[in-house]
Amino acid sequence: MRRKTVSLLLAAAMMTSFAAAPVFAEEIETEEATQEEAEHVYTNAADGMTLAIVTKAAGNPYNEKEAEGFTEVVEGEGGTVVVQHPESATADAQIAVINSLISQGVDAIAVAANDTNALSAVLQEAMDEGIKILTLDSDVAPEDRATFCNQAGVQEVGQSLIDAVYDLTGGEGQYAILSATSQATNQNAWIEAMKAISEEDEKYASLDLVEVAYGDDEYQKSTDQTEALLQKYPDLKVICAPTTVGIAAAAKVLQDQKSEVVLTGLGLPSEMAEYIGDDEEHSCPYMFLWNPIDLGRLAAYTAIALVNETITGAIDDEFEAGDMESSPYTLTAVGDSEEFSEIILGPPFKFDPENIEEWKEVY
Amino acid sequence: MAGKSGRTISAEPRGTVKKLLFSWESAMVLVFLGVILLGNVISPYYTLKNVFREMPKYLSEIFIMLAMGYILVLGDIDISVGSIVCLSATLACIADNAGLPFVLVVLICILTGLACGCLNGFIASHFTELPTMIITLGTQIIFRGIAEVSLGPGGSISLQNKDAIKLLSRKIGIIPVSFFVVLVFALIFIVVLGRTTFGRKLYAIGSNSTAAKYAGIDVQKIRWIVFTVAGTMAGVCALFFLASTYGASTTTGQGFEMEVIAMCVFGGIATTGGKGKLIGGFFAAFIIVCLRIALGQINMNTQLILVIIGAMLIVSVLIPAIGNALRLARKKAEKA
Amino acid sequence: MNKKENGIFRKITGSREASLLIVLIILLALIELLQPSFLAPQNIAQIFRNNALTMLMALGMLCVMLTAGIDISITSVLAFSGMTIGLLQKYDVIHNTLLLFLIGAAIGAVCGMLNGLIISKGKVAPIICTMGFMYIWRGMAYVISNNAWASAEDVSGFSDFGKSGAPGPYIILAIAYVIFFIVMKWTRFGRRIYAVGSNAEAARISGINVDKTITLVYTIMGLLAGITGVLSVSIYGSAQPNMQYGKEMDVIAACVIGGVAMSGGRGTVVGTFMGALIIAVIAKALPLVGLDSLWQNLVKGIIILVVVILNVVTQRVMDRRALARREM
Repeated sequence: MRRKTVSLLLAAAMMTSFAAAPVFAEEIETEEATQEEAEHVYTNAADGMTLAIVTKAAGNPYNEKEAEGFTEVVEGEGGTVVVQHPESATADAQIAVINSLISQGVDAIAVAANDTNALSAVLQEAMDEGIKILTLDSDVAPEDRATFCNQAGVQEVGQSLIDAVYDLTGGEGQYAILSATSQATNQNAWIEAMKAISEEDEKYASLDLVEVAYGDDEYQKSTDQTEALLQKYPDLKVICAPTTVGIAAAAKVLQDQKSEVVLTGLGLPSEMAEYIGDDEEHSCPYMFLWNPIDLGRLAAYTAIALVNETITGAIDDEFEAGDMESSPYTLTAVGDSEEFSEIILGPPFKFDPENIEEWKEVY
Repeated sequence: MAGKSGRTISAEPRGTVKKLLFSWESAMVLVFLGVILLGNVISPYYTLKNVFREMPKYLSEIFIMLAMGYILVLGDIDISVGSIVCLSATLACIADNAGLPFVLVVLICILTGLACGCLNGFIASHFTELPTMIITLGTQIIFRGIAEVSLGPGGSISLQNKDAIKLLSRKIGIIPVSFFVVLVFALIFIVVLGRTTFGRKLYAIGSNSTAAKYAGIDVQKIRWIVFTVAGTMAGVCALFFLASTYGASTTTGQGFEMEVIAMCVFGGIATTGGKGKLIGGFFAAFIIVCLRIALGQINMNTQLILVIIGAMLIVSVLIPAIGNALRLARKKAEKA
Repeated sequence: MNKKENGIFRKITGSREASLLIVLIILLALIELLQPSFLAPQNIAQIFRNNALTMLMALGMLCVMLTAGIDISITSVLAFSGMTIGLLQKYDVIHNTLLLFLIGAAIGAVCGMLNGLIISKGKVAPIICTMGFMYIWRGMAYVISNNAWASAEDVSGFSDFGKSGAPGPYIILAIAYVIFFIVMKWTRFGRRIYAVGSNAEAARISGINVDKTITLVYTIMGLLAGITGVLSVSIYGSAQPNMQYGKEMDVIAACVIGGVAMSGGRGTVVGTFMGALIIAVIAKALPLVGLDSLWQNLVKGIIILVVVILNVVTQRVMDRRALARREM
């Protein structure tokens, strides 16, 4: 008997508590309506807009810089910013965050996707609700977003990296790649581009890619993998690590061991300043990256243009991006696609001993 | 003995009414109401519609929570469930992309879970010297490892045939279908644990497995069954997970095991076995989900949300001890 | 299994550590076959250095598991302590290596003592209490970091302590293992831990302060986790809030492989050392033997499971033989 009463009580409590909620719902809807009206008054700036950025994960300075650039532009244009760093670098954590942003009725969401496929459902839902979706840094399937702010074209990154390898090996010999995780979208695309370029062009015929190792963006595993590469391939000349944790871990191993092998790849200047130098004391002669602050700013301008309907995400759309260097930007086709677009920030930037002191203070 | 509460607020409640009022489960209801109220106060977006819309992502975990409750009642633990979700979802996607009919995809998803759970159960019941924590730690790495190998270098896969899976993410009014499915499963699991001989056997094993054995209960067979059920529920979870993502990757389901264990414990189920009711876990799950949604809507730092949940967990398990200490103090005061 | 095999079995499984040693030798022989330079001195040095964190924390976990407890908050404590001392250097507050180690150790000890007090005084199941703190300290590491890392340059002078070729990590490991070996074998405190784990009630009756022992054990665990956090920053030359995420399971696996019983009361420092070494060897060998990186996790899981099951089987054979001899 007692148990039955308990369950009844529980059921009743649950129903009443849910029933209590709609009272508040109505208030919100009216609020939203006034907001929408406000938007029609201003058409050029971001006044009255709420724009959100979802980075890959909390606790990473690269992501923080992206958010910083995004915030700076949106606030400068008079909009409201929501910055969300998911609790971990998984699609799962991003889904929760994006769901919440849909509830908040933001106008646009810029996502640095942790996974190509798993965000599909939630992004579709967001678009159904009329929210503009764009990606930055790392793309999703193109039908799930309006456009993609690409930090640097895949081809350009691949070309820069393979040229660096060519230069550092002296044109021939063994090199290895130390990547992040096996499902990291960006890294996989760049590695594929490197492979394709070196197969097509005779110039790179004497370069020998011995292995692609995965350090999972963990220091311990990246260290193990780097040491294993050194041991397995005594003739190895260059390691190319197109990932921020991997390059820092490998740099430490090579520098501590005073190894002959040199390093290049993509890394944060502030993290890598200790290792960049031309002499034997340093393990990395030079490396590349783009400016994550600029990437965040570009994403902000794109989001504003999307919400203002200056652009729709179609190829050849054009928009102004404030005082950014290459403004106005044009949306270009992704690969051979006739439908899906991306915006390329610019070529990757080279960090060498000359400029590292200056940049390590910036990001 | 069956269905006794894991925790009580006051150690010696007198009378039925008092027992009811001071049971852990009714405290859960109060906390639940509190969370709903909090949500309404802090977030202007905390509407019925929004809460239900955000819920499916979390609902799939409740399937595992139900089975984890059984495992904890046995005094065991299963930390491989997150990896089983990953493997099931992966294989289902692969099957779907190969053009198999949807029914078969569903079957593969659930049977993968069943097979994984069965393997856990087999090892647990045949090598009883091994703690289940270490067995499932091993299989946790293995199941995710198989998923990694079958996903290949890309590490991620999408579901091509989305129309069929959308059936599972449909809504009746504003309430998602998965909510009703969870309710049905919860009802079955709660009734089986609370009111059947099978349920009583679980409590008996959890309280004292040697005594249960001498009482004629086939302890190892039951443990095997329960682990298989847990794996199967992880398969079901994977299915509903797919309905809210349309894809799987090597990180799918990461950390699910700790989240569902936290739900169970917060709901009053003791990890030492033999104590607690599933209804408590069920309410705890909704408390955590509704709280997460509320804090998410005010854009609280995601790591701070985890800190709060961790603190809630510790406070909740400390309440009986605090209650005891207070009562002792009062008794002392009365004597003096 | 025939008689003859049993004879050999008996010899080699005279003690649990001996059977572990056999497992380790077989593992090493297999790897050496696939990768002949595996046992080169430099490689062995790398194994110890790159797994110093697991090995150090395994000692604390041994004590915790001897009292039938478990601590899954250790890598969160590690991250909190590591992040703190990383930030102290980043913002140029403190650069003294010894002082940094002391601060890290103190943070760890306090975190551990909280665990211990709640578990012993509050009668909370260890896995639950430490799960709560797992979320809390990891979250706090993120919160204090404020999305920044302490970079190699920030910790440059300090990281010399743990850099490749420097003796720092080895000295810490050696000292810790010697101390624990002595304490667990020959001191009253060591025996008290075993007593509490074998039978807490009996220990209480014989006058041991069980609560105090348990609190101390978790404090020691926390202390080690704190030191490990500092060591980690020094070895990898960087501090991030997500460092060593999920590695607590490696530590637990090391202990279980080393024959420490999760039900308490059974386990030795030597066994723990071997268990940790097996985990370390697996981690080092997998990328070396030419296995496709996609398969590495799968193989790691299978090896761990096979090793623990093998341990059970040998134990059963030993018990049966012992029983048979008694019956004669």
